[in-house]
Amino acid sequence: MEGHDVLLRKTYTVDVDGQRHQAVLAGDDQGTELRIDGAGPVPARARVVLGGRALLVEVDGRRRLVHLSPTDAAGGQRATLGGRPVRLLAMDELRAQALRDVDASAGSGTLAADIPGLVVEIRVKAGQAVRQGEPLIVVEAMKMQNELAAGIDGIVERVAVTVGQTVNPGDVLVVVSPES
Amino acid sequence: MSSKNPAAAGGMRPFDKVLVANRGEIAVRVIQGLRELGLGTVAVHSDADGVALHALIADEAVAIGPAPSSESYLVGSRIIDAALATGAGAIHPGYGFLSENAAFARQVEAAGLVFIGPTAESMEVMGDKLSSRRKMLQSGVPVVPGTESAVRDPQVAIDIAGRIGYPVLLKASAGGGGKGMRVVRAAADMAAALRQTMGEAGKSFGNDAIFVEKYIEDPKHVEVQVLGDGRGEVIHLFERECSVQRRHQKLIEESPSPSLTPALRARICDAAVQTARAVDYRGAGTVEFILAPGGEFYFLEMNTRLQVEHPVTELVTGIDLVHAQVRIARGEGIGLRQQEVGQRGWALEFRVCAEDPARNFAPSIGRIDALTVPLGPGVRLDTGVYEGFEVPIHYDPLLAKLIVWGEDRPRAIARARRVLGEFVLHGPTHNLPFHQWALAQPAFADGSYTTHFLEEAFRADDWLPDLADGDRQALVAAAVLHESGRRVTPAGQGPAAACGDNWRRAARRAMTGGR
Repeated sequence: MEGHDVLLRKTYTVDVDGQRHQAVLAGDDQGTELRIDGAGPVPARARVVLGGRALLVEVDGRRRLVHLSPTDAAGGQRATLGGRPVRLLAMDELRAQALRDVDASAGSGTLAADIPGLVVEIRVKAGQAVRQGEPLIVVEAMKMQNELAAGIDGIVERVAVTVGQTVNPGDVLVVVSPES
Repeated sequence: MSSKNPAAAGGMRPFDKVLVANRGEIAVRVIQGLRELGLGTVAVHSDADGVALHALIADEAVAIGPAPSSESYLVGSRIIDAALATGAGAIHPGYGFLSENAAFARQVEAAGLVFIGPTAESMEVMGDKLSSRRKMLQSGVPVVPGTESAVRDPQVAIDIAGRIGYPVLLKASAGGGGKGMRVVRAAADMAAALRQTMGEAGKSFGNDAIFVEKYIEDPKHVEVQVLGDGRGEVIHLFERECSVQRRHQKLIEESPSPSLTPALRARICDAAVQTARAVDYRGAGTVEFILAPGGEFYFLEMNTRLQVEHPVTELVTGIDLVHAQVRIARGEGIGLRQQEVGQRGWALEFRVCAEDPARNFAPSIGRIDALTVPLGPGVRLDTGVYEGFEVPIHYDPLLAKLIVWGEDRPRAIARARRVLGEFVLHGPTHNLPFHQWALAQPAFADGSYTTHFLEEAFRADDWLPDLADGDRQALVAAAVLHESGRRVTPAGQGPAAACGDNWRRAARRAMTGGR
């Protein structure tokens, strides 16, 4: 911000449909500038429009209408631009670090539901050896059967659901412990 | 009521209230059409659909059972009871569910109600692959050349293939969905192919009977809309092409077909009329054909109901098919002569489904958080959902249909691109980006696409184009400015502020280790 005191400077990690970007926001009482992925700073501003359903974003003089849904439980939000839906997640440094810590501690043998549905078949029992990619469980949603497969080679530590149970995204279905 | 009642004259019972035995977008569309005719409307709904759009907009709504269709929308007796209890005089079955169930049609009529559709007899003939094929052979409608009975002897198969011409398809009689099929391109390969196919059929279906039929390479799916009065009068409303399919599930439909010359169009429409006449067809129906690259076409099947894709025909012919169905069901006849039906402009339909193209079109459910439909000239949306509606897990993933009309095909495509670019649907993962992808494919743009279009052109792991740099920048900026609170909220544009607060609450929870 040439000629003004910078009142705010903050770095964000922004995830656009799984692709990471770094953005540095600098602002004063005159306006805000944004550096994205190390590029030169460009003026950026946004106006809340359409009754709060969208932001009219102006970056470097070019404007776009970005529809936004309220933030979900994971801190992200759905956005649509040009008919293209994407998932956005903006995190300041503290939040980004917290998320990295969680990622590091997560075991990859945990199979969780990725869609809401009904458990219609369980193909494994605790203590059974499984290979990566082997279908362990079948979840039915909208008349379609979806097989969910083991993420790693290992031994089934526990099966957390029963046939006939309704599950939601994120619910743990089967835990596989890696072969030692 | 006029003094001269054509319904009574035709032996049909007059009715002024209709029960719609369906759900979702088709129930909504039918209720709207009935209301325009001044008829009373009754919706039926399962326990999962109490606040579904169709159940909200009808004059009356009757709960008919638990969420699974087998305990609600497929239970004919409950639907008939609901009609009798509400004083409805007719039942419109929509598509799917009981719409092609001849026993249900009989029960409806036995209960003294009018079934808005064909007679049970024509449904039975057309509902069975072998009997419909036989009927078409008798009526001179072309069917795919092949055997009428099972083959086990390679020499017999070679003789048949020599007569109908290679390539041929070996098909397990008990098979379906592409299983137990093998293409044979030369006599030398026949014996081995027959042995393998019989072996697979025996193992998969417990029945090793094999049929031999001509294999149509690069086939297109072309179908013709017909209307019959049940007394021998049949007209056609021209064709639709529905070659953009995924495992026999249509995704995009258009009318006219880009694959027909005027002469071929006349022949295929004539064949459809002959088909419908052969069963004294009553009501609206669709005759489906396979079209080969050389212009030969073959009868596939007849759908004895309104089709999902009927709106493209309505936009191009200007004829309301639900109104026509009611006219015919009242015994008033088709109400149109063939020469009054023309094609004007071009229409495209896109099925808006709650499914994820990137994950093999796996279904998705959830609450509709945002639904912004870009209208404008030549745009129609038939929808069964609304903002705030929770898409239930129990039914078909079809949420809505986007239909656009343009003066010609390029203009219809341009309009479709505009509309798809403005469409906002948040909630379940959906296939609108797939439609944008399809419109950008050369094979779609030039109309040369076949039913193999998806297999040939679509890669689930690599189909979504990269975001343009400017768009990506704008999205990053939106996320950052929203999260930071550095955005201007003009007076009266409230709720987004609340979104930011939610985020900050979530962030605080995360930072303090809370859940």
